[in-house]
Amino acid sequence: MSARDAASGTALPDIAALAEQLRRVTVEVTDGSQLLGSGVLWPAGYVVTNAHVVRRPEASLRLVDGRCVRARVLARDRDADLVLLGVPGTGLPAATLAEPESVRIGSFVAAVGHPLGVRGALSTGIVCAIGPIERQGRSWIQADLHLAPGNSGGPLADAAGFIVGVNSRAAGPLALAVPMNTVARFVQAARG
Amino acid sequence: MNGLQSLSNDLAAAVERAGRAVFAVNGRARLGSTGVHWRPGLVVTADHTVHVDEEVTITGPDGRALTARVAGRDPTIDVAVLKVDAPGVAVAEVADSDAVRVGHIVLALGAGPRASWGVVSSVGDTRMLHLDLTLYPGFSGGPLVDAQGRVVGINTSGASRHWQLAIPAAAVNRVVDELQRRGRIPRAYLGVSTQPVRLPEPVRQRLNLDQQTAVIVVEVQAASPAAAAGLTIGDVIVSLGATRIADPTDLKSALRPDRVGESITASVLRGGEPKDLQVTVGERPRRG
Repeated sequence: MSARDAASGTALPDIAALAEQLRRVTVEVTDGSQLLGSGVLWPAGYVVTNAHVVRRPEASLRLVDGRCVRARVLARDRDADLVLLGVPGTGLPAATLAEPESVRIGSFVAAVGHPLGVRGALSTGIVCAIGPIERQGRSWIQADLHLAPGNSGGPLADAAGFIVGVNSRAAGPLALAVPMNTVARFVQAARG
Repeated sequence: MNGLQSLSNDLAAAVERAGRAVFAVNGRARLGSTGVHWRPGLVVTADHTVHVDEEVTITGPDGRALTARVAGRDPTIDVAVLKVDAPGVAVAEVADSDAVRVGHIVLALGAGPRASWGVVSSVGDTRMLHLDLTLYPGFSGGPLVDAQGRVVGINTSGASRHWQLAIPAAAVNRVVDELQRRGRIPRAYLGVSTQPVRLPEPVRQRLNLDQQTAVIVVEVQAASPAAAAGLTIGDVIVSLGATRIADPTDLKSALRPDRVGESITASVLRGGEPKDLQVTVGERPRRG
């Protein structure tokens, strides 16, 4: 048995595999030249990102294999900070979505994105809380995890690599992600 | 299920389990803090978050608001104990904090519950636990929890903006034991004011001392335990019992409530010569 096999019972090799799995479904969102943020390859030929990342009717997406595609905005919800993009063509990988409300406080979460231009950077943490951060505010997955500009619109995933939310912004050291039930409702409504 | 998923489930289960004994404490005007149902009817929190002296409202994990009474404080380690009638609220499972090692994964819980995670980054001289994790606003007084959901300490960010600390469960137990034994937490004192002082290299070498600093006595209160033991201004206290005294904070933390009445050896330097004095730790007279 190699040392690597011996270590496979620990969580460390799982994290490397998880990072790879998430990188395959995370795109770079650009305006053609400049990085705007990250996005998640959604099932059935869509990409979900933040409304504050894509302010125009179109955006360029760079996939993990280096391919670049143009995408058109199909729906936008500024309040929820979500945008749905349609990607022409087929054969793109897609993220596996977690069941809405499957996250538990304390459970492991991982984010992949392009913080400050660093491609495919992984950050890990746990779910700190689920709910608003101010009175009457909207509900967030609040994660004890480091986000930086460029992470916006990227995936927040559980330990199995299933998407539990879309990263939106940082509040101090806390990461705020739009929860899966909100994202699923938005995508459902946009597709009609 | 892979190793990461099982770790994730363990952490979530630990939060759920420990969270059943967590209270929100409204002991100061702006920001609430967290407390732990340490023993039946006794909730432990961080002393610096309780600005009131008598009644304080606390909210249980079930959302019930209860009135608690401040039963005792030990500001030397930042612990306050509240007495409350809280039937039906789980009592925390407290683990042996001496088994906590640098590198262990730990969780910090705030009322809600909210959670953050990290590792134990060092264990201090007085076994204070230094943490590599974020204590979010309101987390002070909350439990530091191991991966099994057992409480190994009480978190506090009161000591410093830069250090995230936990008071080890063993120290909290000592305070709670004193409270249960005497009905209050006495404050131990010697009756001296001190300042840090650098030990001259020749003195250190001659006396085989590994510490760079000690404390010099700048005031001895009349009729105090220090006066009775013969401590005088100018004495340099090097150790108290088995505890090395490198600065006034060490002296403060050596004076634990359970030491009131105990006779301990104060090793001092007087005129550069070592001298041992027996001092009986007194109880600081109460106000009013």
